[in-house]
Amino acid sequence: MPNSEKATAPDPLIQLIVFRLGQEEYGIRIEQVKEVTLTPEIARMPKTPSFVKGIANLRGDIITVVDLEERFQLREAAEVAEEAAAHTYTMAIEAKDYTIGVVVREVPQPLSVPQSAIEQTPDFIQEANIHDKYIEGIARVGDRIIVVLDMLKLLTPSEIMQLTAPAAS
Amino acid sequence: MSNREQEYRELFMAEALEYYDAMSRHISELERNPADEEALRELFRLMHNLKSNARAMGYTSIGEAAHHMETVFGQLRDGQATFTGSMVPVLFGGIDTLGELIRAVGEEQALPDVQRLLDNLDRISRGEEPDLEGEEADDDEDVSRKLELSDLVYIQVRKLDHLMNLMGELIIDRDRILTLSREIDHPALTTAAAHFSRIAEELQYSVMDARLVGVGSLFSKFPRVVRDVASTEGKEVNLTLQGEDIQIDRNILQIITDALLHLVRNAIGHGLETAAEREAAGKPAQGQITLSAQAERDDVLVQVQDDGRGIDVASVRRKAVERGLVTRAAAAQLPDAAVRAFLFEPGFSMAKEVTEISGRGVGLDVVKLAIDSLGGQLRVDSVLGEGTTFTLVLPTSIAVKGALLFELDERSYALPLMHTDSVVSLLPDRFSVVGGVLLTRLQGENVPVVSLRELLQLEGDQVLAPARKATLHGRQDIIIVNYNNRRLGLIVDRFLRQQDIVVKAMSKPLDTIDLFGGVTLLGSGQVCLVLDVPALTRLFLAKRP
Amino acid sequence: MKNRILIVDDSFYMRTMLKNMLTDAGYEVVGEAANGQQALEMAIETKPDLITLDVILPDNTGLDVLRGIRQEQPDVKVVMCSAVGQEVIVNEALESGASAYIVKPFSEEKVLEIVGNALQ
Repeated sequence: MPNSEKATAPDPLIQLIVFRLGQEEYGIRIEQVKEVTLTPEIARMPKTPSFVKGIANLRGDIITVVDLEERFQLREAAEVAEEAAAHTYTMAIEAKDYTIGVVVREVPQPLSVPQSAIEQTPDFIQEANIHDKYIEGIARVGDRIIVVLDMLKLLTPSEIMQLTAPAAS
Repeated sequence: MSNREQEYRELFMAEALEYYDAMSRHISELERNPADEEALRELFRLMHNLKSNARAMGYTSIGEAAHHMETVFGQLRDGQATFTGSMVPVLFGGIDTLGELIRAVGEEQALPDVQRLLDNLDRISRGEEPDLEGEEADDDEDVSRKLELSDLVYIQVRKLDHLMNLMGELIIDRDRILTLSREIDHPALTTAAAHFSRIAEELQYSVMDARLVGVGSLFSKFPRVVRDVASTEGKEVNLTLQGEDIQIDRNILQIITDALLHLVRNAIGHGLETAAEREAAGKPAQGQITLSAQAERDDVLVQVQDDGRGIDVASVRRKAVERGLVTRAAAAQLPDAAVRAFLFEPGFSMAKEVTEISGRGVGLDVVKLAIDSLGGQLRVDSVLGEGTTFTLVLPTSIAVKGALLFELDERSYALPLMHTDSVVSLLPDRFSVVGGVLLTRLQGENVPVVSLRELLQLEGDQVLAPARKATLHGRQDIIIVNYNNRRLGLIVDRFLRQQDIVVKAMSKPLDTIDLFGGVTLLGSGQVCLVLDVPALTRLFLAKRP
Repeated sequence: MKNRILIVDDSFYMRTMLKNMLTDAGYEVVGEAANGQQALEMAIETKPDLITLDVILPDNTGLDVLRGIRQEQPDVKVVMCSAVGQEVIVNEALESGASAYIVKPFSEEKVLEIVGNALQ
């Protein structure tokens, strides 16, 4: 990068894992992603909201797997129909004191962006379907717009379970 | 007294008391059958050992008494005399005297005089009559004689398992009581609950502690295995064992047995090179395998280490791409440790040739599954050309529960046997409907029956729809569960089997759903939900029509 | 290379004492057997240079074990351990190929001297 030769403080690069939800591109800081794997067999958990796909055995760890497209209703009707056929990938994400799996339909890709490319307080936030409290910023890379999510906020137990149907009795 | 002397003394005492018990047993057998050769041989051997050990310790009077007894039992064994008449009370008395002597040594008291016994034994061995005068006085002492019981008990694992299961239930109840006491917030209750909680926890650790055994009890089987495998593979192998006294739950040791066997066979079959290859590589012809255990906080690390060819990461990387486990681009960026982890993927085996010992098809994935089912970890480190180390990180203790496995909507579920009353398979005519609830009569009692599927599918404030007999088609597989003496029948799709499972706590954030006591990993690696019968029963009571 | 020794004795106390004496003197104790069957198996398994063999064992007599071992491994040295009063068996053992014998109770010097001589 040409400006790296300048004497001023360098613009640090941020490593993101970029994935697609619905028609939009989202990113997570690479430190929060433990691994990406083909989605393992998932056991559906009764009494959980439908976006919680269930639990899976990921190398001996039992993790909860969630579908964020379903959580934020980002999926187009046409895609829902073909969903069953395609196999998916699961990003294992380190939340505060547990690991959680996030299902995506295309292989997530690593991408480095300069810190300065991430706008901390974007004004077009309304365009995103995801509530701004989960959004760390918006990265502009060429003509791509990537919504950088704060997974730690998104994946707290209360966030995940808040939509749970009230438990019996 | 030096440590070693102290150790010898303790060993002597433990063994002497054991001998004394065995002697008492055998002489009673002899009383019933004076020609019992086995008993005679054993008495001779035990006397002989006691004599040798006592002399080595410098306990002369025990040594002398045992020596004289040995002489007489030797004659009896060789048929030179018969266990009968006046020698019987002398020999019984002799064993009693030995017991007194051993106890006196144990309590560091003066040893009683044994001259009279020695004289009588001499007379018997010369074929003369013993002097039995004053024996009655001895009999008086018998009344106050202490019975020595061993400090060790043998116990069946089954009983320990049962204890552990009860413990698991107690811990669940403890948590409920703590929650209740917080809700009710009464000072006396809070204090009592806190005390109860402490005791329950201590009890839990004691029960866990009672199940620990030395890793050596498994390791000791390996010299033989290594010898056999090495000779079949035509390799020279030296096995070293380390950390045999590290303690671990007996059932964990049981579960890792096959995994360890597999790793050791692999190490010899695939890890170590042939003597010729080793020499060509400038290594000693004899390969080294080390089986070791060490404690690390609450875990036990078991390692299988070889000084063989090591894992060729490039080759694993290539194979992982060929198998479609990872894209070529992604594989190139993976660190070596991540590449080696592919070895644990199902069916991923690196062996080029299939050997008799390592077998075909069985790969490290099987080892991985066994370790996973324990909630442990499997790691592999390797330096190409220098060797490979597999590390099993194991919990020291686990709770194993007996469970009934069944199928519902093509998924396996488990129910703890502790709450399972019976399983029945009933035709629709065995049911009646009362107040919207399905009932069946079992052992003179009306038991409510509910479709587990419907119960689990209820959402929010929904209640169960009134039951109709018309919805039942053909035989219904029903598990009768029992909680607080309340029986409930659960209709499932199919019974599978009974099995011991290791229950893992439900991981966050789903741990708030109380219908599931946890999860278990089946041998296939499939995740199986473990239902919580108390919560299920409460749900049914709240939701019945 | 250290000389490798297998100890055969049905008394744990006796085995421990022998093991300590031999290990302290720089020998490698490769195994401990408590009966004849174990002794035969471990002799094959561990291929020791020398075996200390108790005369009286629960399942076989020491003599049977001695003969069994010498049949399998003619080169192994066997030192019999006996107590006073078993001279007959000891003589028979020496005739059957035992290298030497130790009489219990034994002193450390005596054990090391006899074992050392047998291995030369």
